[in-house]
Amino acid sequence: METILNILFSGVFHASTLFLVAAGLQVVFGVQKVFNLACGTFYGLGAYFGITVVKCLVEHNFPKALFIVPLIAAGLALGLVVGPIIERGLMKFVYDRDETFQLLLTFGLVMMLEDVIKFIWGTSPQSMGGIDMVYGQLNVLGATVPVYNLVVILCSLIIAGLISWLLMNTRFGRIIRATADKREMGEALGINMKVVYLKVFTLGTVLGTLGGALVVPAGAAVSEMGMDLIVLAFAVVVIGGLGSMKGAFVGALIVGVLKSLAISTYPEMEMLTIYIIVIAVLVIKPQGLFGGSRV
Amino acid sequence: MTNEEGKTAILSATDVRKWYGGFHALDGVSFTINEGEFVSIIGPNGAGKTTLINVLTGLVAPNTGTVVFKGRDISGIGPEKLSRMGMARSFQLVNVFPNFSVLEFLMVAVVSRLGKGTRLFSSLLRDKQITDGAMEVAHLFGLDAKKDMLAKNLPQGDKKMLDVASAFALHPEVILLDEPTSGVSTSDKNKIMETLVSASKQIGIKSILQVEHDMDLVFSYSDRVIALQAGKILADSTPALIEQDEEVVCTVMGKKECFKIFSSLQNKER
Amino acid sequence: MKNRQEIARLKSLKLPLVIVIGLVLLCVPLFAGQFFSYLMLTFFAYAITVIGFNLLFGYAGLLSFGHALFMAVGAYTAAFLTSTFALPYMELILVAAVIVSAILAALIGALCVRYIKIYFAMLTLAFGMLFYTFLLKFYYLTGGDEGMRVLRPYLLGIDFSGTPKMQFLAGTYYIYAFVILAILTFVMWKIVSSPFGLCLKAIRDNPEKAEYLGVSVKKYRWYAFVISAAYAAVGGALLAPAVGQVDPGLTYWTQSGTLVFMSLLGGFDYFFGPLIGGIVYILLQNSVMSLTSYWRFIFGAILVFVVIVAPGGIAGVIGSLVKRRERRD
Repeated sequence: METILNILFSGVFHASTLFLVAAGLQVVFGVQKVFNLACGTFYGLGAYFGITVVKCLVEHNFPKALFIVPLIAAGLALGLVVGPIIERGLMKFVYDRDETFQLLLTFGLVMMLEDVIKFIWGTSPQSMGGIDMVYGQLNVLGATVPVYNLVVILCSLIIAGLISWLLMNTRFGRIIRATADKREMGEALGINMKVVYLKVFTLGTVLGTLGGALVVPAGAAVSEMGMDLIVLAFAVVVIGGLGSMKGAFVGALIVGVLKSLAISTYPEMEMLTIYIIVIAVLVIKPQGLFGGSRV
Repeated sequence: MTNEEGKTAILSATDVRKWYGGFHALDGVSFTINEGEFVSIIGPNGAGKTTLINVLTGLVAPNTGTVVFKGRDISGIGPEKLSRMGMARSFQLVNVFPNFSVLEFLMVAVVSRLGKGTRLFSSLLRDKQITDGAMEVAHLFGLDAKKDMLAKNLPQGDKKMLDVASAFALHPEVILLDEPTSGVSTSDKNKIMETLVSASKQIGIKSILQVEHDMDLVFSYSDRVIALQAGKILADSTPALIEQDEEVVCTVMGKKECFKIFSSLQNKER
Repeated sequence: MKNRQEIARLKSLKLPLVIVIGLVLLCVPLFAGQFFSYLMLTFFAYAITVIGFNLLFGYAGLLSFGHALFMAVGAYTAAFLTSTFALPYMELILVAAVIVSAILAALIGALCVRYIKIYFAMLTLAFGMLFYTFLLKFYYLTGGDEGMRVLRPYLLGIDFSGTPKMQFLAGTYYIYAFVILAILTFVMWKIVSSPFGLCLKAIRDNPEKAEYLGVSVKKYRWYAFVISAAYAAVGGALLAPAVGQVDPGLTYWTQSGTLVFMSLLGGFDYFFGPLIGGIVYILLQNSVMSLTSYWRFIFGAILVFVVIVAPGGIAGVIGSLVKRRERRD
């Protein structure tokens, strides 16, 4: 029973950060039809930046118990700065190109940003030295769960709620949904698509950097984390369905729980099972579990 | 397959129905095309003409009903197999390989007709059978002078001709043309029709089925006219009879045009 | 008619140029150092891979983001045959690599060619990563992340174990690899100028129309997939003895990205484009790496630049320059 609960908790914890990055992928793909490989790298950037900010504040006697506040702020701020720079500086040139070029542009971006991380933070792993333990641990039905992990799960749920509120109840959300169905729709309605693209891409970036910042106190930042995560996030969106928020949510849960299940039972099968599921989904139902867009 | 009038049926549709949601694009269409016929399909916009062509060319499977081509049910068989059985089509909107020269474009069809597509190591340009086949069709359609031009750089009318020519290059038995003269100036329309008729004789095409809006062309070139309205066949007869059918002409052409025609008819009778 | 003469003139220029460049490449070990020859050797292996890759990418219009998988298949075939089975015959390795890769590609390809564009890219990426985790996790078979050693193979049945390593690689093995590259380039040239090549391009330009002209779109895509996989396996099998070591990194998704990068850099619309891209990539990588350890940043920037400013690649730029000059004349 405890082991099952432990697997479940670590799976859901995993899923909560995966969801954030995958949601970033989805919103950008849904509106701009660009599969942004750099989403994983944004996650890596967020993690390193979060460490730097929190470490710096703690050294200046910032109360440890409140570290989550500057952490979230760091994730948000980074995304809000990096997103618009990349969108205005690079992405806008390729919107009317073939999707091959868009994919390759984001691949070039991955290569550049990975080295930016190495340049600023070096290649050795970095961590916050177990700062997440200030919140202690909780005993749930015999399973020991760090409270911080529960906080991350909660944050992710709040963000998921915010996104769905944004999509369903605001003008911006309606524009996103309209353009996701039909690209010309936005232009036909007389909407300034330039601004929409800027906002959407920034939202996607923020979700990535925030995900990285939130996850890092519970572990460590390593230079390949972005590259590894993008393939996981890729699995999530394929299983859930490209462009679908609900798909990102369910897909993240499936991948997260499966991953932690495999790690504690057959570690060899960890990624293997996930890719087999991805291939099965692509072959049987290429639009994914919740995808509405046609192949 | 010879019917009572001594003609050989080549393509027939029986009670074909196709609906999209609640919209009935085709609502029980039945007809037969015989060898040697030039048949025109007319009808107002939204009557189901293009859906009919799509069903006949196996692109869209009908919800009910059958389409039989040369004695075989071809519902939903797909365009590729159908072209090998001897049916080809052209498109209402220009449908070309933009980066191909005219000659290369036609060679694709010739390669496919000769079944040489899987020849991995033989030279395309040294195969006289392929290049000559493509040149022959280019000549029939007056495209030989432009054979090295890229399809995307051709004028609109030539693009349309190229699309039609590539269908002819397959040497089909039956050819379906979806508005071959749309987007072409009125003065060129007759020329195109003459080209089509003479090319089909040269190549040995047995039957032509076309969707056409220009009534003058329909009446002067067709052996038979099928009028569609709201997914149903309104009339299926000779041009001479259709021309006098007030209901058909008025449905297809709109009130104003039909008044002109019939008032002039009435004047003649007087 | 003028157009035709021009084409004929260009063609008559092209063949001698290719032969001259080929001879210069063949003679590299005579005038350049061993290390440079070694770089050229790795180029030969990548050249074979990208020239096959481009049949899929440039001619059939399918972007595979998992093509390194087949390169790894070739490389691991070399490792297994030389280390595990003690059968170090290069010809056997090449044949085995082609067969294994073609069978695998026939299975994977049958699934993948049902999709195009981003879905094709994703499915191939998933297969590449599946193979990566397989190599990584089944370490008792594949050596896990440490990989496997590749022993020196016999060429044409002759054992060269007496020759020093660099002398072998920059000498006999160099010529061996060059000959294979020359043969496979010629074969690919035949393929793209065959009726099959024409049909592939037709499918890339407009699959719907191609289907109406009786071209079996999926079948031809599948053929292209299998052929390009066989080429990649030969490339991988030639690369493995040169490196002396294989590891799962060969099939990580970024490695597949490198193959796409080379094709794009050189110009995937041109037959020789990927070869130009491959040689520029390898030489540039070598010189940039010696200057800075942040060579990936520079390469990322180059990729971004090519995508935005010169999507036709180096061959595209040369092509438009040549055209402009001709117009002036």
